[in-house]
Amino acid sequence: MNSMTGDLLETVVKIAFVIGLNLGFFAPMLGWVERKQSAVMQDRIGANRAGVFGFTFIGLLHSAADAIKLIFKEDFIPRGADRMMHTLAPVIAVVPALAAFAVIPFGGKFELAGHNVNLVIADLDVGLLFVFAIASIATYGAVIAGWASNNNWSMLGGLRSAAQMFSYEVTMGLTIIGLVMYYQSLSLVVIAEKQVDFWHWGIIYQWPAFILFLTCAIAENKRIPFDVPEAESELVAGYFTEYSGMKFIMFWTAEFIEVVTISALCVTMFFGAYHLPFISPDMLVSIFGGGDFGAIVAMLIGIGVFVAKICALIFLQMAIRWTLPRFRYDQVMALGWKIILPASLIWIFLTGLAILLGLMPTV
Amino acid sequence: MAIKIKKIEKGDGLTLWEKSYLPEIIRGLGITLSHFATNMKSLVDEFALGKGRDSRTIMTLYYPEEQPVIPPAYRGRPVLVSDKNGVEKCVACGLCEAACPPACIHILGGERDNGDRFPRSYVLDGSRCIFCGLCEEACPKEAIVMSDEWRNLCQYDRTKMIYEKETLLRSEAQVQKRLDFIRSNSFSRDRY
Amino acid sequence: MSALLFYILAIGSVSCALLMILSKKAVNSAVALVGVMLCLAGLFAMQNAHLIAALQVLVYAGAIMVLVLFVIMLLNLREKGGLLTGRQPFIQVGAVVLLNGLLAPLVSDYVMAPTTGIALTDPATFGTVKGVGTMLFTEYLLPFEIASILLLAALVGAVVLTKNKKNSEG
Ligand code: SF4
Ligand code: SF4
Repeated sequence: MNSMTGDLLETVVKIAFVIGLNLGFFAPMLGWVERKQSAVMQDRIGANRAGVFGFTFIGLLHSAADAIKLIFKEDFIPRGADRMMHTLAPVIAVVPALAAFAVIPFGGKFELAGHNVNLVIADLDVGLLFVFAIASIATYGAVIAGWASNNNWSMLGGLRSAAQMFSYEVTMGLTIIGLVMYYQSLSLVVIAEKQVDFWHWGIIYQWPAFILFLTCAIAENKRIPFDVPEAESELVAGYFTEYSGMKFIMFWTAEFIEVVTISALCVTMFFGAYHLPFISPDMLVSIFGGGDFGAIVAMLIGIGVFVAKICALIFLQMAIRWTLPRFRYDQVMALGWKIILPASLIWIFLTGLAILLGLMPTV
Repeated sequence: MAIKIKKIEKGDGLTLWEKSYLPEIIRGLGITLSHFATNMKSLVDEFALGKGRDSRTIMTLYYPEEQPVIPPAYRGRPVLVSDKNGVEKCVACGLCEAACPPACIHILGGERDNGDRFPRSYVLDGSRCIFCGLCEEACPKEAIVMSDEWRNLCQYDRTKMIYEKETLLRSEAQVQKRLDFIRSNSFSRDRY
Repeated sequence: MSALLFYILAIGSVSCALLMILSKKAVNSAVALVGVMLCLAGLFAMQNAHLIAALQVLVYAGAIMVLVLFVIMLLNLREKGGLLTGRQPFIQVGAVVLLNGLLAPLVSDYVMAPTTGIALTDPATFGTVKGVGTMLFTEYLLPFEIASILLLAALVGAVVLTKNKKNSEG
């Protein structure tokens, strides 16, 4: 096997893994988590009726039931809607959500049978910028969906989401500048590698950036408490009011995958990526006897740790979603422009100062 | 007399700590997550460790697999109580008929060979009953009580909601809990 | 491989540009313009200028075009009779593609011509954040600062304009 086909094979396997992980595991699981976690938090039982031959698997089958139901539902396009844009919008929503994963490393670099395996689809120098660029494209999904539906509620939802997502995009970029200064790189791969040492995890020096970033990211994803574009008490369902069947499920998938993406980004930037605290991948390889076997085991452990950390952050996001009430629209905008933006600027300044004075040794 | 000026505090009444929002978010998360923790623990106790239904902190029932426990104070369908011989205790005095606000009880009295009075027919129109329990209170013989029956009170066919004496007869054992309850102090204290 | 990618992106960008001019709905035009931006970003990325590519998507496609769309949606523009009036869409799309097919080689001849060694920077740092950043803050510091002051002036101007309007109304 020459190295060209080897690289190609590696890339295909990695892409398949990431897409499979997102669409096959996280998207359906999040449907379940959203139902069950909220239920347990609110002293309820939650969805538990879907079952096969009487086995309900604690409600796990509801996601499958949803998928089957929505696939066979009528795909409805309202009269007067722009058919092409109406169909395009959910695609625009889903694709960026998945694409952002391309630059997130989900495991370390290993040497396997003389072949260097780097567990990231695209090792970009501008990884973080790529993520933000991709996230900015996701705005169009909501905006175009709102516009193309020929419905006042959708339109309002689309307008709201345009303004909100745009505002928080700007702010989100600024929130992590401090972190970028700390790690001196925009590449997520480099940032991940620099967190081998537990004391270099982003959360330790950069915890204000974490809070700001998480807030912006949740707002960017239009989830409660920032879900004004789809506020059901005001706008029916906002920009996807007129969507049904598969297109509706695509919007939901996009939202769930964005939850995963946010978690993955937070893990990569603040929680030591795929590293176990105090144990470096090299140590893992040598613990498991070195060689190919050790590399594979260390690789699997790295992926497992990464996924486990993502799950923990998803839990946090879900807890926030089911704890806080929705903001008013003006509060959302005021929070973004008047609080988080100045706060992140101040944090950039403080980080710069601390680095200059040597209080925060850069990695 | 000088006019008293009362100063009204305006504002949202929040302290600076609460206004800064973040601590309050964390407090809110603490509340919901503590609920999550206790509920998870109780679910694990119940289903994984087999400690049974009582350890569950979630009040929701897995209906219909689990049936609710009806407390004795519940007023379900009014039923007639029979004595040891399976004969109704009712003496057709007509007090319940008179007490019933929507007038859904219709009694036709009669006399047995030994001189006892008994209801020749006792019809209770379940479609009109408001489950007030006044019949139970009026009855001098504890012959009609409110049972804990709550199923099939509603029917698509109204004629099926008109109960004859035979369908209303219950043994004392079946309504023992309710009998104990109406004999207890709490019942009479609440009423009088 | 890269030539193929280039042709795909080039044809895509030119078609999107034509669609933008010709389509009769303002929103369609805006979306086509986003397509142009994305294709251009792809072209930048092909030239190893990853930073410019990411910024192109982030700033133009992600931010500016969203605002353009926002304004279009707010104004609720009526359909104007554009050139592409949907009578014979297939013929028109075909014409666009054909035009591209004719144009692309011409353009590509010009663009793909061997760049005669104008070594702008060290090839190792070319297009990276570090390379661009260093150049911005050393060699091109003055233009950079002037541009930022210009933008700041525009920002202040926008605020002043909107404020004035509010006062005269109130
Ligand atoms: S419960 Fe009330 S309404 Fe029903 S039969 Fe008795 S007295 Fe009548
Ligand atoms: S009050 Fe009691 S005894 Fe009298 S008629 Fe009614 S049920 Fe019978």
